[in-house]
Amino acid sequence: MTTAAAPGKERKLVDMHWDPITRIIGNLGIYTKIDFENREVAECQSTSSMFRGYSVFMKGKDPRDAHFITSRICGICGDNHATCSIYAQQMAYGIKPPPLAEWIINLGEAAEYMFDHTLFQDNLVMVDWCEQMVKETNPAVLAKAETTAAPHSDIHGFKTIADIMRAFNPFTGSMYKEALHISRVTREMFCLMEGRHVHPSTLYPGGVGTVATPQVFTDYLVRLMHVLDFVKKVIPLNDDLFDFWVDAVPGYEEVGNRRILLGCWGSFQDPNYCDYDYKTMDAWGKKMFVTPGIIVDGKIVTNNLVDINVGMRILLGSSFYDGWENEQNFVNADPLGNPIHKSHPWNQTTLPHPQKRDFNGNYSWVMSPRWYDKRSDDHLALDTGGGPLARLWSTALSGLVDLPNIKATGSSVKINLPKSVQLPEMEFEWKIPTRSNTIERDRARIYFIAYSAAAAIYFLEQAMKEVRAGRTKVFNDFKVPEEAIGCGFHEAVRGVLSHHMVIKNGKIANYHPYPPTPWNASPRDSFGTPGPYEDAVNGMKIFEENNQDNFKGIDIMRTVRSFDPCLPCGVHMYLGNGKTIKTVHSPIFAGSAK
Amino acid sequence: MKKGPITVGTPDVDVELPSHVSGVLQGNDVGHYGKMKGHLADGTSTAARSTGIGADKHGPIDPRMPNLSPA
Repeated sequence: MTTAAAPGKERKLVDMHWDPITRIIGNLGIYTKIDFENREVAECQSTSSMFRGYSVFMKGKDPRDAHFITSRICGICGDNHATCSIYAQQMAYGIKPPPLAEWIINLGEAAEYMFDHTLFQDNLVMVDWCEQMVKETNPAVLAKAETTAAPHSDIHGFKTIADIMRAFNPFTGSMYKEALHISRVTREMFCLMEGRHVHPSTLYPGGVGTVATPQVFTDYLVRLMHVLDFVKKVIPLNDDLFDFWVDAVPGYEEVGNRRILLGCWGSFQDPNYCDYDYKTMDAWGKKMFVTPGIIVDGKIVTNNLVDINVGMRILLGSSFYDGWENEQNFVNADPLGNPIHKSHPWNQTTLPHPQKRDFNGNYSWVMSPRWYDKRSDDHLALDTGGGPLARLWSTALSGLVDLPNIKATGSSVKINLPKSVQLPEMEFEWKIPTRSNTIERDRARIYFIAYSAAAAIYFLEQAMKEVRAGRTKVFNDFKVPEEAIGCGFHEAVRGVLSHHMVIKNGKIANYHPYPPTPWNASPRDSFGTPGPYEDAVNGMKIFEENNQDNFKGIDIMRTVRSFDPCLPCGVHMYLGNGKTIKTVHSPIFAGSAK
Repeated sequence: MKKGPITVGTPDVDVELPSHVSGVLQGNDVGHYGKMKGHLADGTSTAARSTGIGADKHGPIDPRMPNLSPA
């Protein structure tokens, strides 16, 4: 963090920036102007100094390699990319995997959500809310926490709120250590289904390579029963902590608050309906076990994946790229005849233009994905709420998910967790909140671990039905077409994920992955609309008790981290100055590929 | 390939080199499922998918049971 006095007109503003932000992957910088007299952030800009170029070097590759390559976009949710790429490939090849393969992928992805959310929430986010941090930033709040009883101490065993905060102290706190253990167990569950974490070795278009035996599912279930005990404790524990902050610090619900503009692309396919045909994408998209949807001001605008796809726009405005207006158009209309815009990922050409960072001009390698709302002619800067907030919100509002242990009611999601190793059957209800703020993003994350666990139980039952019937087929044959297009919609752990592919002459002609962080960390677009991080921090009240000299910016950090930021996916090769790359190539079947 | 304003060197490898070589057999090609031992047309399987040694002796002991081969 560095500071410098900035000349203000009426308000005395102080430049403060955190670059890079720690505890996240990638080069995210947050640049703010803070009005300490009024305890408010006057202005915020989000920047990334890293360029990678997946959309550039995917061209000309074999389409069947797409999921192996794009998995490397991320070191924490690479499997989400692999899965999404497989969805896009299956659409392009015109195939669907056998049901058992789909249940196996769902089980793997459910384990990924459980793993990643646990690790991020309890080992990374909670550092901002732990005793040690609160002692340094809000000692008065800690004093109050010492004398405030935890309402659910009978379940989690911590008597006071301060005890909960102590349990999250890094490396020493009991919950911190237990969460590390759980993230290991859930990763084992993942590996049982997808072979390897985080770049799956057994996922392919057309199915999986996992050998489906009763043993593999039993191994998964045994681990899941232990995870359920953890989940049953950690939800009331998080509720106690976040409810305390709202009560103890009046106005804290305004931290990170922004207009409700949420996007969810849906997760967990239902093999009984999903055939990966674009023409029926609306119908099978609504059968996903996490319902896709775009939510504006608390109301659902659409839960039709075709509408979601057609409305996607990639804008520039403050990014280090040239426009592609004069480049080739790959897709003029989708298979249903809907016109596809020039700034849609199917038609995008990435033209990087490195330049000096200028906060009055171009200042980030992240582009600005927006969703075009034809009702208002607006390009909406959707955020993902860190992933779970949008997923739960969209699922709850649509009211389509009705499983034995998960029910979407229209205003909430009820999650029933069966008896586990230590604790009895318990039901949790996530209710749609009134705000899209820091606390609700963090709270939703912990509820989505329960959602994934409950969904995994259902997927296990369905998978075992297949195995008990002897239907062990897990892959289908396919041919790679000469010309085709495909798109995949999925949820990365931290939110919306789409992969758009165009195949020409049997090779990739265009490929654009759009993960959650470009949506969340986007800079100001060509219309001047700030990205969600910027928007959530702009005008935010400061509740930290420290003065300007020892200011940590904890409220800003909590807000940015509540989005679960992850920059490697935000910018689609960074080489240090003067670094020489040696190319080593092992030709296979001679170098005759043209 | 359009490279924008970035100055890049001459590539020493064709960017399309790692793609499929026309005429080479693809493991995913249609019809290969039927050629694999132990994988039956109706989506079920036998022990032959796991072992080539005495596979016919590893079937279920009761015909009502699913045929689940060792991994």
